[in-house]
Amino acid sequence: MSEAIALESVSKRYGSKTIIHDISFSVAKGEIVGFLGPNGAGKTTTMRMIAGFTTATSGVVRVAGYDMATDNQAAARRLGYLPEQPPLYDVLDVSSYLRFVARVKGVPRAAIARELDRVGNACRLETVMRREIYKLSKGYRQRLGLAQALLGDPDVLLLDEPTAGLDPGQIQETREVIRAFGREHAVLISTHILPEVTLMCHRVAIINHGRLLAIDSPAGLQQASAQSNRVTLLVTGPAEALRAALMAIDGVNEVSMQAPADGNGLLSIDCQTDARAAIECEIARAVTARWSLHRLQREQPTLENVFLRYVQDGTA
Amino acid sequence: MNGVLAVYRKEILTYFRSPIAYFVVAVYLVGAGYFFTYNVFLTGTATMTETFRNMSILLVTLLPIVSMRLFSAEYGTRTIELLMTLPLAAWEIVIGKYLGAVTILLLMTVGTMIDLIPLYLYGNPETSTIAAGYLGFVLLGMACLAIGQFFSALTQNQIVAALITVSVLLGFWFVGHLSGLQATDSMRSLVIYLSFALHFADFVLGLVRSEGIAFYLIVVAIALTLNTSYLRWKR
Repeated sequence: MSEAIALESVSKRYGSKTIIHDISFSVAKGEIVGFLGPNGAGKTTTMRMIAGFTTATSGVVRVAGYDMATDNQAAARRLGYLPEQPPLYDVLDVSSYLRFVARVKGVPRAAIARELDRVGNACRLETVMRREIYKLSKGYRQRLGLAQALLGDPDVLLLDEPTAGLDPGQIQETREVIRAFGREHAVLISTHILPEVTLMCHRVAIINHGRLLAIDSPAGLQQASAQSNRVTLLVTGPAEALRAALMAIDGVNEVSMQAPADGNGLLSIDCQTDARAAIECEIARAVTARWSLHRLQREQPTLENVFLRYVQDGTA
Repeated sequence: MNGVLAVYRKEILTYFRSPIAYFVVAVYLVGAGYFFTYNVFLTGTATMTETFRNMSILLVTLLPIVSMRLFSAEYGTRTIELLMTLPLAAWEIVIGKYLGAVTILLLMTVGTMIDLIPLYLYGNPETSTIAAGYLGFVLLGMACLAIGQFFSALTQNQIVAALITVSVLLGFWFVGHLSGLQATDSMRSLVIYLSFALHFADFVLGLVRSEGIAFYLIVVAIALTLNTSYLRWKR
């Protein structure tokens, strides 16, 4: 059972409208996978299908080896789920709420108190255990939702935007909790906070318009993007001579120029280059040999750029 | 079964940590007390018959307030997403919630039993008739709650759930009046059979018929089955 979550060509249709198109991926035990996509891309729907809140129209969703279409009860026992909006009963106090979830998840009566302490400590809820939920701040509500998902030590954790509404300190702590949990379990996190993905996730799945566009490690995605690198320059000099000099460099594939608008002679140049590490040095050397270079910048593909590129390509 | 018990406990906690249960029980007891005082002390008869008749219509209009939140509130706060993804079968959710609401009904019923003290102190009432009346009263309430719970599962608006339930229940209550308008005997007996009020009238007179008990229990079974199938279908 190395694949704790497995989706095999899963689609979801509402009437004639297809929300999710043929998505396949899996999350292994000990892995944290980030689920990235703009709002309305289908993240929440996919999460809900994995959690068993809705069923897939076609394809197979497996959680901890159980088919969600036939064995969702058995799967639900192995699953912790934090929906987009923490599912809290406002009139209950924190400890009654957690007790309810623990009972339903089948935590033995004798172990419930210990289990409540464990998740309460992990999510820093010790001081509010007796407080009614409607009195809690947004940060506490979010962490209570996480605590609820951690109850019963599930094999699989599904978190829909777990750090939304937390302050920076709390975000740090929550990430630590998730990272610790992810060492021995499978975690799928949906988010649109990109640095979060780089910090926590072993792999990233990018989704838009209900289609899975890419799934790879953050470094792998950046590398794939780096295949077509960009170097931008600001130079004073004659346009045609500059173009010839730049194109002569091995690895420069395309040069586009923007003529100076105000007549100060500053030429803005955009070079498409290959991924070679020192190519910007060669460009600098070639330019400074005859003209004056005002600025040179190599655009490293951040995860943000990668994400935007995938998402925009998807729209086009 | 463990799941039913957990859901039941949660429902009871929720009822008693929000004002609804107190409000409904209080209004109900004030109303029932007034009917009792009026019927017994002003007429000088030591029976519960008239009081039961009055209490029943108050019950039919108040119980939708008890049942309206059962599912609508779960939709509104999105806690339904928790319930449906926990290891709970749809029937466990439905039964657990239903038993929670029935507990409120039983509390209301027990509360009215304070009326029996003066009745037995100063009169000589017929115990079997009163017991039959209470049995009919609880069965009627159970049918109303099951219907209310089903309609609550259809909408996330509690007020809409309550309004639909009240209309449907009043329809079932008064449907017997249409019997005079039916052309055929079969339609006439159908309309009479469907009447909540006519079945209840038997119990109030001390007539416990298996047909009457079966009628209310069948209504409960149908409503709860529809409720369960709807939750399964929605998934």
